[in-house]
Amino acid sequence: MNDKELMHVANLIQEAMLQLRKGRYLECMRQLGLFTSRFSDLARDARKLGMALSHDWLVASEHTCKAISGHLTEIPYAVSKLQSLLDRRPREVPSLCAIVDELRSLRDEFDDVAFNAEEGALCVVTDPISLEGVYLGRFRIALYLEKSAELYHKTAYYVIAIDPHPTAKDEAVTHPHVSNEMLCEGDGAAAIRAALEEGRLCDFFTLVRSILTTYNPDSPYVALSDWEGVSCYDCGYVMDEESSYYCSLCDNAICDQCSRVCVDCGEVVCGSCAGLCEICERSLCPTCAKTTCIGCESVCCDSCLTDGLCPECKQQQENEDEEHEDEQTNEKPETDGAQTIRLGGRLARGGIQAQADHTAVQPDSVGQAAVSSGPIRG
Amino acid sequence: MKLLFINNDGGGFADYVQVSDGMTVEQFFKQEMPGRKAEDYLIRVNRQPVPRDYVLQENDRVTLTPTKVEGAQ
Repeated sequence: MNDKELMHVANLIQEAMLQLRKGRYLECMRQLGLFTSRFSDLARDARKLGMALSHDWLVASEHTCKAISGHLTEIPYAVSKLQSLLDRRPREVPSLCAIVDELRSLRDEFDDVAFNAEEGALCVVTDPISLEGVYLGRFRIALYLEKSAELYHKTAYYVIAIDPHPTAKDEAVTHPHVSNEMLCEGDGAAAIRAALEEGRLCDFFTLVRSILTTYNPDSPYVALSDWEGVSCYDCGYVMDEESSYYCSLCDNAICDQCSRVCVDCGEVVCGSCAGLCEICERSLCPTCAKTTCIGCESVCCDSCLTDGLCPECKQQQENEDEEHEDEQTNEKPETDGAQTIRLGGRLARGGIQAQADHTAVQPDSVGQAAVSSGPIRG
Repeated sequence: MKLLFINNDGGGFADYVQVSDGMTVEQFFKQEMPGRKAEDYLIRVNRQPVPRDYVLQENDRVTLTPTKVEGAQ
């Protein structure tokens, strides 16, 4: 930034500082409104309680008492928040000259200082940062002047990774203490807020840089020890590349817990690509999962198929075969029980005799003989 | 003599302090930050880096900013 730009930016910063001063009072108003609304809620519930009691509605009374208890528990927090705002010392808005001095010292402290007019953001770029051997890259610290006026209830700045090296677990975490471009200030929170309130821009940016160049192993979004590595496609567990398996179909990395081994061919597949034998429920690769029972078309592994049939269909087939055999045995004809009709005749004992029970002849007719109803034997 | 002391370690308060004449910035640091190491801080006087034996002047603005600040999640 040249001196002309410095003056322009200094003017914008001074305006933002004025808005910030007003913003503190606006935030006090807002918190006061929330606080007094609690009393309105209590007054309303008091009336409800009175009405419930007048009708001897004890259940309704109990419900109302619980609501009142809820309002009362929120009051201390509302008081505390309001009090902390009221207790803050009123900050003088720095002079234009002081702000210009701040910008000059910022230029001396950081190699890359710029004002993004489109976004209304004063930006500095850090040197490349490595923490405990893990390379994280450079970061842009962008202070949005309009947002700085709303410091008391919104974040005024963002930390943007210029050449991101996010953790394998979550690409939004570009630094152990930065998630979604927001820095978790930790021990630096109070000092950062004071620096912004007083317009000490160089102090603000150097404090943010100090947080970025320090690793707190007790409270990171993602620990540096888990930073690199491969993330399991199925469960998200981050593992060393050497410990990972790879699905033979989709080539995604999977951990040993999520890997599936095909029971027929031994291929390793992920949970998404694996099929399942519907009989024994063991895993199958997509190729082996095409084997099906020819009866019911269930997916089966080789060991669950017999003659191409699953156990149920095989049993069914055997039952049908037995029934068919039974039916065939019952349909065969019986020779010992066939009916024979005696005709009588010369060779019969006592000459020719007509069997009275078979005859239907007219006694006076000539040339007629009894004809049996049985089969004619030749 | 009176100095404006901005301690960005902790609350980040800016206050006027009285110090003896002829005090160097190194002596001032040891007085205000007992047990701490100077190399763990950015020490600026009137927004400029100064040598450790710089003699402080009336109304100088001394800023101490820690280089190691632990963030969180």
